[in-house]
Amino acid sequence: MTVAGFLTTRITALGAAVLAATRAGVELWLVYVSTIAGIVRGFSRKNRRNRGELARQLHAVGNKSLVFIIVTLGFIGMVMTYQACLQLGRVTGDYSQVGSQFLRLIVSDFGPTLTGLMLATRVGAGIAAEIGSMKVTEQIDALRMSGVLPIDHLIVPRFVACVVMTLALSVIGSLVMYGAGGLTAQYSFGVNPHTFYDLSFIRPRHVVLMVVKALAYGAAIPIVAGFCGLRARGSSEGVGWATTAAVIGGSFAVIVLDFIISAAALFVTGGDL
Amino acid sequence: MTTAPLVGGDATIRFVDVRKRYGRRVVLDGISLEVARGGRLGLIGPAATGKSVLCKLACGLEEPDGGTIQVLAESVVGRREADLGPLRRRIGMLFQNYALFDFLTVEQNVAFPLEQRGGMTADAIAERVAERLRAVGLAGSERKLTAELSGGMKKRVGIARATVADAELVIYDEPSAGLDPVTTQKIYDLLAADQERTRATVLAVSSDVVALARFVDEIAFLYHGKITYRGPAATIADAPDPLVRQFVRGDLEGPLEERGAEAAT
Repeated sequence: MTVAGFLTTRITALGAAVLAATRAGVELWLVYVSTIAGIVRGFSRKNRRNRGELARQLHAVGNKSLVFIIVTLGFIGMVMTYQACLQLGRVTGDYSQVGSQFLRLIVSDFGPTLTGLMLATRVGAGIAAEIGSMKVTEQIDALRMSGVLPIDHLIVPRFVACVVMTLALSVIGSLVMYGAGGLTAQYSFGVNPHTFYDLSFIRPRHVVLMVVKALAYGAAIPIVAGFCGLRARGSSEGVGWATTAAVIGGSFAVIVLDFIISAAALFVTGGDL
Repeated sequence: MTTAPLVGGDATIRFVDVRKRYGRRVVLDGISLEVARGGRLGLIGPAATGKSVLCKLACGLEEPDGGTIQVLAESVVGRREADLGPLRRRIGMLFQNYALFDFLTVEQNVAFPLEQRGGMTADAIAERVAERLRAVGLAGSERKLTAELSGGMKKRVGIARATVADAELVIYDEPSAGLDPVTTQKIYDLLAADQERTRATVLAVSSDVVALARFVDEIAFLYHGKITYRGPAATIADAPDPLVRQFVRGDLEGPLEERGAEAAT
C-alpha cells in the first residue's frame, strides 16, 4: 500500500469514527430530551400502570442496592480513615481534625460519587441488559406496535427511580461511610468519638453540593444505560456489548459530572468550599 | 421474469420504489407492491432476502432509504414515533421470533394491545382475551409466563395478540414456524376465519409455501431485493417463473441455485 493510500484509509476511518461518535452523542441527547418529555406526559396522563412500574423500579434500584451500597461504602470509609490516620500519625500525630475533614469530603464528594459509581455498575448494567434483551428479541418493536413509546414505558420509570434512590442511597451511604470510619479511627488509633464525629465544618453549601451531585448521577446513569440498551443489536453478544458500554459509560459520566459540578461549585463559591 | 402486477385503487399497503440497505448490503432494491383492502398476500423468498424487513417497513418500525410507503391511507415514512402510534394500533403484527413480553403472563401479553388502545372495560378485555386463547388452543395457560411455554405455544400467543384487537391490517411473519403440520393447518384455518369475519387485509410471510398457498389469494416472490413474481396462490407450484417453481418445489437444481452461486462469488 502506498503512503497516500495508507493515509486515505486512516483518515477515512477517523472520519467514520467521528461521525459515529457524533451520531451517538445526538442520540444520547435525544434519549435525555425524550425522557424529560415522557415524564411531563406521564404527569399529564396519570397512568396507573406506570405508577406500578415506578414502584417496582424504586424497589429494584433502591431496596435491592441498599446492602451493596452499605457494604461497599462502609469498607471504603474504613480504608480511607485508616490510611488518613496512618499518614497523620507518621507526620503530626494529631487526629483532632480527621473526622471533621473526612465528613466534609464525604458530604461534598465521596458519598454521592462513590454511591453513583456503585449504582452505575449495579443498576446501569441491569437496565442495559434488560432493555438490550428486549431490543434484540423484538419486544421493543412489539411495544411500538401497541402504540407505546419505549422511552415512556421503559426509561422514564427507571429514570425517576434512579434520581430518587441515588439521593437516598447517597445519604445512607455517606452515613455508613462516616460511621465505619469513626469506628476504625476509635479502635485502630484510639481517636475519641466526640472528636471524630464533629459536624462543625459542614456548611449548607456542602449539603447542596451533595444533593446536586446525587441528582445529576441519578439522572445520568439510567439515560446512559437505557441508551446503550436501545442500541443493542443482534443477539446475546449485542446485549453483552450494551451492558459493558453501560457500565463504562455510566461510570465515566459520574466521574466527569463530579469534576464539572465540583469545578462549578468552586467557581460559584469563589474557592471557599 | 413476470413483473409484479399492481392492485389498483383501494390499496391498504402501497410500496413505491422502496429501497433499504444495511451498510453495503442492499436488502430491498426498488420494491413496488400493493395489497388491496381486504386482500391476502403471501410473501415468499429465500432466507435473508428482506421479507421481515418489508413487514417492519410497512409498520414504520424501520425507515426506508428511499421510496414511499402508504399503509391504511397514511404515509409511514419520515413520521415521528409518537405520530405513528394511532396508525400502529390499527395494525396487528406477529413477529418472527414471537416478541412476547417476558415480564408479563400469557393473558397479559394478549391483553396488552387492548389495554393500550383503551375504550374497553377490564371485563370486556378479559372476555376477549379468553376467547382468543381458546381459539389458538391455549385455554388454561393464561397465568403462565412466556418462559414456561414451548416455541409453538409462544407462536400461538403471538397470533392471539396480533388478532385480539380485530386490526384492519394484520401482518404475519412466519405464522407456522415451529408448529406441527396439524397445528399449522388449524392455525391457518383460524386466521382464515378471522379474516373472513373482520375483512382485514393480510400480509403473510412464510417458508411453508403449501400451507400459505391455501390461506392467501396471491403470492409474491422476493428475490435479490426485488419482487420478481406475483401470481395466484393456487397455481404457485406451476408458476411460469422457473425461480419460483424451483423454490416452491424445493428442487436442488435450477436457476435459484445458479443465481445464489453467482451472488456468492
